[in-house]
Amino acid sequence: MARRIAGVWMRHVVLSSLAVLAFSARAVRADVGSDEAAAILVFPKIVVDTSATPQTWRGRIDTLVRISNTSTQEVSVHCFWVNANGHCTNSPATICNSSLFGASSPCGASGFCVQGWQETDFDINITARQPIAWLASRGESLCDPHDTSGDPCLPLGDAHPGPGGQDNKGSRILGVSEDPFIGELKCIEVDKNGVPVALNDLKGEAEFVHSNPDDLDVDGYNAIGIPAGPGPNNADNTLVLGGPGAEYSSCPNILILDHFFDGANDPISHDEVTTELTLVPCSEDFLHQAPITTPVQFLVFNEFEQRFSTSRRVTCFDNIKISNIETRSADRSIFSAAVSGTLTGQTRIRGVGDHNTLLGVAEEFRDGGGSAAFNVHFNGTRPTSDFIYLPPN
Amino acid sequence: MGSVNGMIWRWGVVIALVRVIGVGQVFADVTTERGSSILIFPKVIYDSQGLIGGQVDTLIQISNTSNSLVFAHCFYVNAAPQNPAEPAGVLNPSQWQEIDFDIFLTKQQPTHWVLSGGRVEDTSDKSCGPVSGGGPPFSDCFNAGFDPGKIPPAPDDPFVGELKCIEVDSAGAPINGNHLKGEATIVNLPPALGDASKYNAIGVLGLNTDLNSNNSDNILCLGGGVTPSCPTGAEYNACPGTVILNHFAENASDPVIDLLGNSPSQVNTELTIVPCSEDFENQAPARITVQFRLTNEFEELFSASTTVTCWANFELDDVGLVFDIRFLGTRFVQTRLSSPDEQAGFVAVSEEFHQQGMPAVVSRAAFNLHGEGDRVNGDVIHIPEGP
Repeated sequence: MARRIAGVWMRHVVLSSLAVLAFSARAVRADVGSDEAAAILVFPKIVVDTSATPQTWRGRIDTLVRISNTSTQEVSVHCFWVNANGHCTNSPATICNSSLFGASSPCGASGFCVQGWQETDFDINITARQPIAWLASRGESLCDPHDTSGDPCLPLGDAHPGPGGQDNKGSRILGVSEDPFIGELKCIEVDKNGVPVALNDLKGEAEFVHSNPDDLDVDGYNAIGIPAGPGPNNADNTLVLGGPGAEYSSCPNILILDHFFDGANDPISHDEVTTELTLVPCSEDFLHQAPITTPVQFLVFNEFEQRFSTSRRVTCFDNIKISNIETRSADRSIFSAAVSGTLTGQTRIRGVGDHNTLLGVAEEFRDGGGSAAFNVHFNGTRPTSDFIYLPPN
Repeated sequence: MGSVNGMIWRWGVVIALVRVIGVGQVFADVTTERGSSILIFPKVIYDSQGLIGGQVDTLIQISNTSNSLVFAHCFYVNAAPQNPAEPAGVLNPSQWQEIDFDIFLTKQQPTHWVLSGGRVEDTSDKSCGPVSGGGPPFSDCFNAGFDPGKIPPAPDDPFVGELKCIEVDSAGAPINGNHLKGEATIVNLPPALGDASKYNAIGVLGLNTDLNSNNSDNILCLGGGVTPSCPTGAEYNACPGTVILNHFAENASDPVIDLLGNSPSQVNTELTIVPCSEDFENQAPARITVQFRLTNEFEELFSASTTVTCWANFELDDVGLVFDIRFLGTRFVQTRLSSPDEQAGFVAVSEEFHQQGMPAVVSRAAFNLHGEGDRVNGDVIHIPEGP
């Protein structure tokens, strides 16, 4: 009898161990990343300024958003523009982000800039393996045969369905709500009823195109993908990222950014280099429009292995020159070459506290021209969850 | 009877364990944003005269993401044609010549070097910072910091090819540390107009870093099962089964440039492909057939193929007119790339060239590609025997 009980116990131990091993092995793949298709796409940085006389230091610029469906099935996507424009207290219609306007605030001396956080959302239907793209400033709708603008449009409708009979009907991609604009785009794979589903079919890129008659500068980054799984999706409006009851992968514990120290000269072009870092929290509450504030710790290493650190609070969205992270005097910053002493550095970025993980991208600028956006690296995950709260469908 | 049941049970456990380990290998992929044991920079270029393309040089950044000293063994693969003034071809083959060197990085140390100059060990390299007597701070602190070792310059001008760095121990034996990350920035050389593009190095993760399943020999096994070359099975992740590229149709217009009134515009895409299997010991280049399956915005399917020996960098138009806007009919395309199971896998990066106006102003933007699935048969990197 005792032997039989021991045998049963042994089987339970072995099966449990196998289940744990199988789970962890499967979970290896389910990391947040920008190089595999996923269920949630995060474009942390979208920039628009298309007015004839550019209002921002970026000049005339628009963002081309590209998304494609990597599966052989039609997919539906629910997307959110997050408008992070600030507005002046003395002129609520005036846009005033410091990252767009630099030190010269359009609010003047009698007002100050209040950061905003406003979402608008829309739906897209993408057919099997279909690539689509749109200008952030314009958005996109079904192609109109009478439209000669040359703007991108969704080609599959009643007049021209896809080979499998699928089409883009029901899609209407909004343009961003203001121009100039800075903010985030987040897209979530859903079913035909708008309910989140556990499928990993989406990939995307954002491309910044700055164009003047004698000046062109293009750079881009891959959208950050959050894969569905390992657990089932309960199809409600609260998306659980990592931790207990996870429906999606956990966001990274630490972001790692390799960068030039600001003010250093590029050894090839001899142009001065500066870097902008864009951070967005993994958790977002679109239901209550409640921006989430995250204390962020920065750990900086130069090429002498010397270590510096600083911190900053990020509320819902932050796009900032790295040498302004902890000071307005860029040449006094630990992110400036004048202080750190070497050309390049490695910075580890960590949101502090539960539910406070971050995602981000970086963009380098050379004062002689030539910007380059790139994805930051990730390290580890957290045992706690992040949450995305969606408005009711 | 009981012993038969027990035997079935034990075999069941063994099979399940094998499946579990197998799952671990199948679902672990190459990465562009995690610390890794092998870094692949598919596209590094130095061309001071613009013989192969534009006048460009490449800045390499590598850093150690751990709190321990890390060593790496790196290889330049020179894929420039024998006569760089002429296009590569049957009568002007690529060199496929490797040179290698070692680097080491202290705790969390970032480092950099420029392809054209490499990096010499010189403790007197001047740091950036204030200058005595006031004035603007000194900003040309190239090579300041702990030197990561002596890094040779590109062996030729022009140089096009690949850089590969493998994490090793202090004796030079490969290990599964997953401590390396890197970026490459391709920058226009003066007096050309300022322009730059940047991509993350492609990382191959070592498996089971806690156990170090790497047998530390000179044959690195990327995915796959037990074979005579890989007696302990996979030591590193498999290369992707399919590589996915979102791109403009060749010669399509750029809608942003058009919107902003600076037409005409045109976009072309260069693709750089490196086979995952490489034999540095025998200088035997891998040859693969790359299949392209294109889907345009009308969901129409097209296909094409090309062969790649050791390294290739080409405009999509060079593969065939199937990539052209006149043929595809839509501006945006999703292309899935793969090679036959019996051949080597590959990794790739893309670079877009946007042109506006007449005469054209050009700007470049690099992208890492997406991967899907894993190679079934695995790949092998054969490195030269050490001391």
